[in-house]
Amino acid sequence: METDRIFDEYYEKSLIQGGNLCCPGCGGPLFWRMALEALGPKTIVFGDGPCAMCAIRFLRVPTFGFHFSFVADGATGISAALEMKGRDDITVVSSGGDGAVGDISFNKVSAAAERNENLIQICVDNEAYMNTGIQKSGLTPFGAWTTTTPLGKESPKKNLPFIIAQHGVPYVATVSISHPADLKGKLRRAKEIRGFKYIHFVSPCPTGWRFHPSKTVEVARLSVETWIWPLYEIVDGTLRLTSKPKPKPVEEYLKLQGRFRNLSPDVIKLIQSNIDGKRERLLENDGERIVF
Amino acid sequence: MEGEHTAMAAAAAASAAGARVFTASAAQGIVYMEEALWMPPGRRLPVVMCMVNRAIAPLGGLRPDHNDSLLQRDTGWIQLYCENSQEVLDTVVQAYRIAEDRRIYLPVAVCYEGYFVSATAIPTAAPDQGEVDDFLPPYKHELYSLYPEDYHRPPFPMNIAKARYEVQQAMERAKGVIEEVDEEYAKRFGRGYDGLIEEYACEDVEAVLITMGSMTGTARDVVDELRGEGKPIGLVKLRGFRPFPTEEFREMAMRYHVIGVVDRNTSFGSAGGGVVAMELARALYPLDDRPLLLNFHVGLGGSDVTINQIRYMAERVLEAYERGYVEKEVEWVELLDLGEVM
Repeated sequence: METDRIFDEYYEKSLIQGGNLCCPGCGGPLFWRMALEALGPKTIVFGDGPCAMCAIRFLRVPTFGFHFSFVADGATGISAALEMKGRDDITVVSSGGDGAVGDISFNKVSAAAERNENLIQICVDNEAYMNTGIQKSGLTPFGAWTTTTPLGKESPKKNLPFIIAQHGVPYVATVSISHPADLKGKLRRAKEIRGFKYIHFVSPCPTGWRFHPSKTVEVARLSVETWIWPLYEIVDGTLRLTSKPKPKPVEEYLKLQGRFRNLSPDVIKLIQSNIDGKRERLLENDGERIVF
Repeated sequence: MEGEHTAMAAAAAASAAGARVFTASAAQGIVYMEEALWMPPGRRLPVVMCMVNRAIAPLGGLRPDHNDSLLQRDTGWIQLYCENSQEVLDTVVQAYRIAEDRRIYLPVAVCYEGYFVSATAIPTAAPDQGEVDDFLPPYKHELYSLYPEDYHRPPFPMNIAKARYEVQQAMERAKGVIEEVDEEYAKRFGRGYDGLIEEYACEDVEAVLITMGSMTGTARDVVDELRGEGKPIGLVKLRGFRPFPTEEFREMAMRYHVIGVVDRNTSFGSAGGGVVAMELARALYPLDDRPLLLNFHVGLGGSDVTINQIRYMAERVLEAYERGYVEKEVEWVELLDLGEVM
């Protein structure tokens, strides 16, 4: 069949295999396809457990992994071994989910950032422990339903990219699958820099966020356009916004997802005013040094 | 590295990426490392580390007992216990040969007591670098390559029981490899340690004491004295706890009527006594004619194991031999007032 031929030909060239264990509509495989187009085949990916592993097992570059309590550790070891062997042609990527990077391995990522290990740390952030049954993580946003926050999460999402930036690392960036050129450009840039690079990707999750799998890219785009997930990079401590869309109301993003179904108009108003404030501060600091 | 949990994971991944790696830890560090300690055996990575035995908190301290490393006995690490700094140095070199042997591919822990061995100095001969390089060819891990041009990994085990069984089989093979490597080392460097187990002054004796680690040095002197007094007791030093030398002990059980096990560890609420005694009891159980077994707890939390204590234990073993039965299966020797003779 013609479609089979196109499918086969595509995946022959691609650095991910056709078919994987991820849920339909998962943002993970989309991200990895684009990321590896930017990073190329000379990449070793060290990954963690559950969700991230579903995607990583199907990458067509060397992969290795332990549990999600070891994010950045293994990549540090691989990076050290490569340095000893004089292999500076290989990019080392450390991948972890939001639970791993933001909670369980938070100290590991912080320590690797402080040591300025030569690797790209990626956070594939689907905003909860999805594979284990949608439990809240430190990176679950305010108001979101999870099985452990049935009335909506009461605390805000950890601002991880800024926390990592304050370690004084050379490169931090946020990316979205709705902006492929921006995403690939940032990974290409990270690949060229020596030291600790941090890429934070919010991965829409139909299973945990409660939306139809066909709407993944739409949800991702709205997160950028409402400024809930603004795209920026922090190069040597200086902030630069890479997308400055005309802000859409947060309600457009929230109403697409079942996890925000129970938010009252007052809470939505509160979220809107928080996002407005955040946007204003980001715009004020665009082009400014924010790490000192 | 900011902690042991990280250090072991980094060491394991670096090993997978083709580097020969080493790390060391003690007490709380080993316990904190435990999650990561399961990675090298499961992934068949030949990491070598020193486990410097120290008592675990609370009520732990700078000084040693064996509970920290014995707690890791189920992880799949080969464990060799050393008596002094010279043996530590020689065993680390041997450990890489054992770990990187393609019949094995298991990590090796070189265990020795904190403070008594780690913080005291004895004259130690360092072998020539060139001779060590000859003995230890460059590390090449055939199971793994993480390099893009040559990427290969063992297939993901769909049958976990089979993967575990393979580790167990490698452990069994390690018994022979440890002896083989020690023999070759002795030939090349003039120092050997009799593989998994050493029998000291055991000719024509009826009973033996089993020790592990630094107390063996003191026990050698005590046994010499007792032999001089005509007492039929010898000394067995247990060097390889993992793999456990079951066959050697079964063979020994035919020659000795009473065995006294000195355990510098505890297992609260166990079937009876310390970890080594329990292992040994399992090893000897299938025999028709079993020796009598006594077990002593001593040196816990790093208190000195004195000449008086070793003499006391030897006398209890000899008493059991004369009477033909064991009065007390497990004894906490430190609770007795035996004077303070070192």
